[in-house]
Amino acid sequence: MLEIRSITKRFGGLTALQDVAFTVGRGELVALVGPNGAGKSTLFNIIAGAFPPTRGQIVFNGRDVTGLSSHDLARLGVARTFQQTTLFGEQTALENVLHGLHRHVPARVVAGLLATPAYGKEQREVARRALGVLELLGIAAYRDTVAADLPLGIQKLLTVAVALATEPVLLLLDEPAAGLSRDEATRMMNLVASEIRQRCTVVLVEHNMRIVAGWCDRALVLHFGQKIYDGAPEGLTRDQGVVDAYLGVAELA
Amino acid sequence: MKRGLLGLLIAALVLLPPLGKPYVLHVVIVILINVVYAQALYVIMRMGYLSFGHAGYIALGGYTSALLVTKLAITPWIGFLAGGVVAGIFAWALGAVTLKLRGIYFSLSVFAFAEVVNAAFRAFEVFGGPAGIAGVPRPALLGTRLNTHLQFYYVVLAVALVSLFFLYRLQWTRFGFTLLALRTRETERLAESLGINAARYKTLAFVVSCFFCGLMGAVHVHYLRFVSPFVFTFFLSNDLMIYVMVGGLGSYWGPMLGTVLLTGLGEQLFAAGYYKSLVYAVVLLVVILALPGGLISLPRILRRGGARERVLPVAADVTAARER
Repeated sequence: MLEIRSITKRFGGLTALQDVAFTVGRGELVALVGPNGAGKSTLFNIIAGAFPPTRGQIVFNGRDVTGLSSHDLARLGVARTFQQTTLFGEQTALENVLHGLHRHVPARVVAGLLATPAYGKEQREVARRALGVLELLGIAAYRDTVAADLPLGIQKLLTVAVALATEPVLLLLDEPAAGLSRDEATRMMNLVASEIRQRCTVVLVEHNMRIVAGWCDRALVLHFGQKIYDGAPEGLTRDQGVVDAYLGVAELA
Repeated sequence: MKRGLLGLLIAALVLLPPLGKPYVLHVVIVILINVVYAQALYVIMRMGYLSFGHAGYIALGGYTSALLVTKLAITPWIGFLAGGVVAGIFAWALGAVTLKLRGIYFSLSVFAFAEVVNAAFRAFEVFGGPAGIAGVPRPALLGTRLNTHLQFYYVVLAVALVSLFFLYRLQWTRFGFTLLALRTRETERLAESLGINAARYKTLAFVVSCFFCGLMGAVHVHYLRFVSPFVFTFFLSNDLMIYVMVGGLGSYWGPMLGTVLLTGLGEQLFAAGYYKSLVYAVVLLVVILALPGGLISLPRILRRGGARERVLPVAADVTAARER
């Protein structure tokens, strides 16, 4: 469903990604692993259309989407969260999710200006849908709380809710569990591995081996912009290249 | 209650003026014109953009109508609309390029554009040069030229009410709600990732903002019966921003409150010349330091004993629509 064909990305003299290639099948839950600076976020940004690759091709659902803008990709069904928890901080949780529903609700400016009954009905319908997404992630109780005032664990869930509201085919989660307590991370990953993956394919960036091994189908390891491993999470610790490059200095809980 | 008050206010605006003295009418006309400017500016300020050059679009509207009416003898009614449309077209052209910029870079680009417009009006003979265009006629209705203050007051009132209704409703639409998603670079990135075409939304918002400035600018020029490069200057752009900030960005009624108070005050201080700017500056400083949410946040702060204030208006339709 997602096919990365030999992507290279250079920033000036720095090569962030070097001929990275892999595929992700429908319904998979894939972890992208690697130390800081390995190019994981760069790869995410390229897949999500934040910037184009220097070389290479991205094929999504059989269509070449290389170089499309991020809003075009969102319309095709690619949603993402950001490494730095990004929300509409001044707005409530429910309003945040409403922005996520943007692409499913026509603007209808004229009807809105005239406040027609049909428009009001549609608004209530959209609000109900948004509430449904909050309920799915178990955070409906916070619907009227301003996002910036929420605790980090809830904010993280809300970022996923906002992305999920776009009803994506492919969901890219950039370190969904970073900064969370063990319990919060477990709650997050249980949701990802059940409710969320029933709805879409998931690729996530993760450092924590407990999470990669505990919930993901497959691990891809990047090291200095190159793919050095692609396979089952259990094989990670047995792969000499991975151990040498990365695991020797990282958490192996 | 709120609706009743608003109805009462509109009824007063419609019924009372025949009793007013011409000077009072003049002040109310100026307030109405400025209120529309400020609310139009509020559209983009709510989106996180500051403009130091909205007077440029007001001037474009004013000159367009003045030229069409004096040179081509087109009826002022069409001139008004043309003023709005021309301002909107220029906003679209500039916005498509400059709305990528954020913060002071955008503000300065609009400022520079307004200065270019102003320089062009001064430099070229067809615009009347520094002397501007005189003898801009008032519109006629049913064969009567609306030459008295009172007659033209109703023209201003009608245009203002229609504009204000439009601008008020706009923020409660999904379109207006989406604009709130574009307030900072980070939220814009998030919005883009959700399928929101930020550039298109921002450009449209800027066009709407400038359309109403151009429309009212045209009406303004027909009220003054003349226009020159010295009528719509940087000082007007500046005053408009002060109105909005003093009134407060947190609600549609904030900019209106700021405009009514400060324009009223400004008219009283007019004879005192430069004191107007001085008083505005002091008021602005006091409000920014003591009341960051503007005057409109005062009752809420008093009621809640200084509780944290939401900076943004709630998308009322949407949140009110949630299940209870």
